[in-house]
Amino acid sequence: MKPDWAEENLQTIRTLMERSAVYRRALAPIMFFAGLVGLATMGMGMFFHMNSAREFCGLWLGAAVVAVASALLIARRQALKDKEVFWSPPTRRVAQAILPPLLAGMCLGAFPVFTDTGGLTFASTLWVLFYGCALHAAGFFMSRGIKVFGWLFITGGCGIFYGSMANLIPDGISMWLMGFFFGVLHLAYGAYLYLTERKNPVA
Amino acid sequence: MNPEPFLQLDRLIHEKGRLAIMSMLAASPELSFTELRDTLEMTDGNLTTHIRALQQEGYLSVAKSFRNNRPLTTCSLTVAGRQAFAEYISLLEQIVRQNKPR
Repeated sequence: MKPDWAEENLQTIRTLMERSAVYRRALAPIMFFAGLVGLATMGMGMFFHMNSAREFCGLWLGAAVVAVASALLIARRQALKDKEVFWSPPTRRVAQAILPPLLAGMCLGAFPVFTDTGGLTFASTLWVLFYGCALHAAGFFMSRGIKVFGWLFITGGCGIFYGSMANLIPDGISMWLMGFFFGVLHLAYGAYLYLTERKNPVA
Repeated sequence: MNPEPFLQLDRLIHEKGRLAIMSMLAASPELSFTELRDTLEMTDGNLTTHIRALQQEGYLSVAKSFRNNRPLTTCSLTVAGRQAFAEYISLLEQIVRQNKPR
């Protein structure tokens, strides 16, 4: 037997314990709320004709901040209700996984504000793509469904990109695209989770 | 080297597959049979054998239910299982300390 077998065993145990502690808090309410924020943002943007780059990006960046803050609050409420730690290791890992693509997407997606050359469809593409990457990254520490949901955004983002390059997607539908991806899809996924998620999950 | 801690190690948990199962369940209130099988890359038969051995010793409890009209088998550690696992870890740590050059 190797002299350091005990240390190796402990390391293996640590790795397995970390891998098994996946994020299990109920996602349905979070997805529902994010979907409502997405739809409300789209409605607001269309009602007030917020079609300039500055207005469009400001509106959706604001919506992103509201959605992320609300998601954290909902998760915290669930943790308090279950008498559990909110900032648990699985929660931390999920946050670490989604942060780089989420921030990169938010920053790059706001480029039309600085260039003032339009390109709102391209900005939407970047947001959708990077958000999909964030979801996929989170999927390594959550239930498998979130990875599939992430892939939906990634393929959707690529589809919008090539569609707009080939002039298949008309200009001026960025608000609709954002509303569909960040509103309708979230509501649909929230409904799916509501019907399939197990009750009393834990982080 | 004092062989005492090594001799005290729980032989049932010390087996690689069972130790992996216990480790995963120690970090989670419960895990499904599928989750265990997929993460540990075990065959159904192998996992069933290990689970049965741990269950017989009273370290693990198995619950069967239905989810989306499909049978769902979930495993969780019992109090005795958690205690045995904690003791096993503490003995391993003792062995590590002993093996460290002074």
